[in-house]
Amino acid sequence: MASRPTVTVISADGSASEQTHPLPEVFKAPIRPDIVQTVHTGMAKNKRQPYAVSEKAGHQTSAESWGTGRAVARIPRVSGGGTHRAGQAAFGNMCRSGRMFAPTKVWRKWHQKINLNQKRFATVSALAASSSPALLMARGHQVSTVPEVPLVVSSSAFTDSAIVKTSAALALLRAVGAGPDVEKVKNSRKLRAGKGKLRGRRHRQRRGPLVVYSPEEDGKDLVRAFRNIPGVETSSVYALNLLQLAPGGHLGRFIVWTSSAFAALDKIYGTTTEASALKKDFLLPSALISQPDLPKLINSSEVQAVLRPVKGGSITKRAVVQKKNPLRNMQVLLRLNPYAAQYKKEKLGQQKVEQDKPAPMPEAFGTMLHEN
Amino acid sequence: MASNMSSDLIWECTRGQSAFLCKRKSAGGVQFSRDPLNLVNKHSRKYDGFLSDKAIGINSSDKSIVLTTKKADKANKPASLLQTSSFKATTPARNLYRSIVNSTVKNGYRADLRAEAVSRASAIKRSQRPVRADRVTKARGAKARKEKEVSSE
Repeated sequence: MASRPTVTVISADGSASEQTHPLPEVFKAPIRPDIVQTVHTGMAKNKRQPYAVSEKAGHQTSAESWGTGRAVARIPRVSGGGTHRAGQAAFGNMCRSGRMFAPTKVWRKWHQKINLNQKRFATVSALAASSSPALLMARGHQVSTVPEVPLVVSSSAFTDSAIVKTSAALALLRAVGAGPDVEKVKNSRKLRAGKGKLRGRRHRQRRGPLVVYSPEEDGKDLVRAFRNIPGVETSSVYALNLLQLAPGGHLGRFIVWTSSAFAALDKIYGTTTEASALKKDFLLPSALISQPDLPKLINSSEVQAVLRPVKGGSITKRAVVQKKNPLRNMQVLLRLNPYAAQYKKEKLGQQKVEQDKPAPMPEAFGTMLHEN
Repeated sequence: MASNMSSDLIWECTRGQSAFLCKRKSAGGVQFSRDPLNLVNKHSRKYDGFLSDKAIGINSSDKSIVLTTKKADKANKPASLLQTSSFKATTPARNLYRSIVNSTVKNGYRADLRAEAVSRASAIKRSQRPVRADRVTKARGAKARKEKEVSSE
């Protein structure tokens, strides 16, 4: 995995142009899914509106407990008579028409404060992750037709309000290979399950590419051109938002950069040693290890030099093995009894024992034996 | 790929959640992968192809077998990343396995996936074989006599 210092700028028709741009330093920032996730969780909470049940709900009755001795529970009961409601339990969270348990209050802590440095870390981390095709695919983006990641489209495609119409915007996305991702979003539109349908969230759909532009060079007409394409979002490079860079807290948003926005990244985020021009007191975080490729680390001569050699080499005794029967398994027999090879080769096992018939006993022996 | 990226890092980012990952509660929480470059469809560091520099994919496409490999130097160019070659349905199984192994494993390209590649090719080959119709069973005994009567009438 050689480091790739430059990125080709793709022209409006999808072909690679002569122009290249060095990879901004922000793409070398450490990738930390844990930080992105926690920051995202916090940021997602900051657009909430307060809700609560009515303060009075479940308490609009003059119920009193009957006390002990009436062989019923001591829960407050609705007083009076002449209606079914009389004598029914009230107030408790277990009661019909009672109040809920721990009624929700509008003064709940709806918003989360997130440390600025953490937010910036998460943003650069999400940006760095967007330069890996594998992470894009793992997020579900259809990027197999994209010529290069990060995808940088020449700003000349946007100059002089070239992209004002949605048809032109769609044609541009198709030309640079983002067509399948847009198509995927279009096909993913489904009716939402549950009450959200009634609350202005009728449909749910995937997220498509994020078009990042530089408002000064590219103009703002492209925003209106892109906004009616389902799933496609636009963002100024000066106002990147983690909720768009890592939707759901998952790394790897597919980003279409305009070349002027891409060029502005180094100015906005600076480097690990040089402070950012636009963000106060911000240096890019640097990775804790400069070589994240584990096999490369393990196989490096520095590591290999200090490892002790493998014990026993090729004839290491294995710890737990099935016992083999040497009488059936020739190899095991040979290990125990090297002579077995020669024994087998000369077919000693099959040879007859060479011996003559026993010499007959002298006759005197017989007579002596049978003598009474 | 930028210098801060490696297959190991991508694996750590995607082992918990990923578009390819297919989690099921059944069978002790099996984790499968939908990755076309995964030879055993198992979600694991070794088999998931989308995150490694080199990966082998073997898939069927109407009666032919397609071998896909990744070009390691094109990691950041998805459009020109994959190298495919296809084998006709008529390719004998042994030739198929030999050419798959010769073009990948024998070239030092993912030697650890030799057995998996061959067995996936074999499984696809088996699935593409025409289904043989069941033989019509011959009637015996009382049934046979009855049929005979009907036909003789």
